[in-house]
Amino acid sequence: MRIYLPLIRASYMVSLVYRFGFLFSILGNVIYLGVAYYLWRSIYQGRDVLNGLTFNETFLYVGLGSAIFILLKTYADWIIHFEIQQGTIATYLTKPLDFQLYSLFTNFGALLMNLSAIAIPTAIVMIFVFKVQVVYGIGLFLFPISFMFAFLISFSIDFFVGLISFYSESVWGVTATKDIIVTVLSGGLIPLQFFPEAMQKVLYWLPFQAVYHTPLMMITKADLGWQTFLPMLLLQIAWAVILLIGSRLFYNQAIKVIRISGG
Amino acid sequence: MRTLGEYIRLYFIIEAQYIKARMQYRADFIISSIGMLFTSLATLGVFWVILQSVPDVAGWSLMEMVFIYAFYMIAISPMQILFDHIWQLRFHVQEGTFLKYYFRPLNMMFYYMSEMFDLKGLIQLVMGIALLIYSSIQLQVDWTILKFVLLLITLFSAALVQIAIIVAASCAAFWVVESYPVLGLAWKLREFAPYPMSIFDGAFRFTFTFLIPIGFVAFYPSQLFLRPEEVHWFVYLSPIIGVGLFSLAYWIWAKGVNSYTGTGS
Repeated sequence: MRIYLPLIRASYMVSLVYRFGFLFSILGNVIYLGVAYYLWRSIYQGRDVLNGLTFNETFLYVGLGSAIFILLKTYADWIIHFEIQQGTIATYLTKPLDFQLYSLFTNFGALLMNLSAIAIPTAIVMIFVFKVQVVYGIGLFLFPISFMFAFLISFSIDFFVGLISFYSESVWGVTATKDIIVTVLSGGLIPLQFFPEAMQKVLYWLPFQAVYHTPLMMITKADLGWQTFLPMLLLQIAWAVILLIGSRLFYNQAIKVIRISGG
Repeated sequence: MRTLGEYIRLYFIIEAQYIKARMQYRADFIISSIGMLFTSLATLGVFWVILQSVPDVAGWSLMEMVFIYAFYMIAISPMQILFDHIWQLRFHVQEGTFLKYYFRPLNMMFYYMSEMFDLKGLIQLVMGIALLIYSSIQLQVDWTILKFVLLLITLFSAALVQIAIIVAASCAAFWVVESYPVLGLAWKLREFAPYPMSIFDGAFRFTFTFLIPIGFVAFYPSQLFLRPEEVHWFVYLSPIIGVGLFSLAYWIWAKGVNSYTGTGS
């Protein structure tokens, strides 16, 4: 553990180089919030509740969803792809550290940077400019825990996709497809409650809803109580474990390929 | 000076070679095309899901949104297909490899952009055309020759607006080292072009109509075919806006090219 912790600090410092970029990312996100506000306002158009969500809850869900999107956008898939393509992965293999853990901790550093530079300003804008209200409840306390598991799931998917480039020559196509599937089918763009009933049932059993829908519900419907949140959290933990182990097994397989093809 | 005809002939020769080279990576083309299909239909998917719960968004039905979206897909295709090399500009500028573009007796923007031809963008174009035909049959848009000519003119100017925004944003690379966020923001704004502009008011509507006129990429021009009676007077200015914005972007590009001093190596 001691050797991995400095990695968080190092990657945090690396991200700090791109200070200028944060301004544009915040601006981009504020514009997105504005667009989402107008879009959902015209969808509600005097209706109080749609699919069990009020306008305020939907806007909170979608707006926070965009903040989580930025938090989780650590480009692990692209970084792993370039490390494999340019062969720098070999230098990690000679070091006394585990490549998957190395990627996980570097990503966590980037996530902390995104949190302090982009996500918190976004949340401030949501509270003070758009005046969203949050209900108090058990969900607010479960949110940080749930978010950590969402990060683990998202990281595992990215790690998996990055490893695919051991086999495929294309990275843009794979990551673009993954990005769309993860954000649309997870509640990242529209609350899952808006999907047709039959689709919701299918989506519930896929890992993607655990990335956005679960933590977002804990904020927007914070007062729902244990009986709702506990099964959601357990399902999320199960997915995190399955995907971490799954991507680990895939890594063990993939790493053999690189030895065959040489240095 | 070379004539337009010469440039077109040259473009075909360059791209024929480029496509031959790309075809070595057939798997990449297929996977990228699938990625393109998902990416270009994502926002439409969002509209579809929303319209399962409500009958319309600000008075616009699903089929009308499909029409606007199809117009958008076609209008952004020239940028996607012909100007894809824009994403590499910052690397060329930083690493000094941009110098090579000064040494050919060709227009520099032409020479630079001709180095890439985005094959996967063709998927978006084909999807856009198919959806435009489908939705205009469903909406019973009655096409006359005049309307078809109007469609071509508005698509051309919409494409110029989109190209101008992206080119201008990418030129930040000539002055700032870390220019990607500027281009990233312009790229993100593109996603809002198929939204009905009538949902916005105040600063947002003003910005999307007059400052960064993404409204002219899809929504305003497609009103001419969907609801001609509701068209604002400024929609008829769209060809002027398209040509004007592109000239502005070209001027910025020329400024950047002239101020570039290489990396000193």
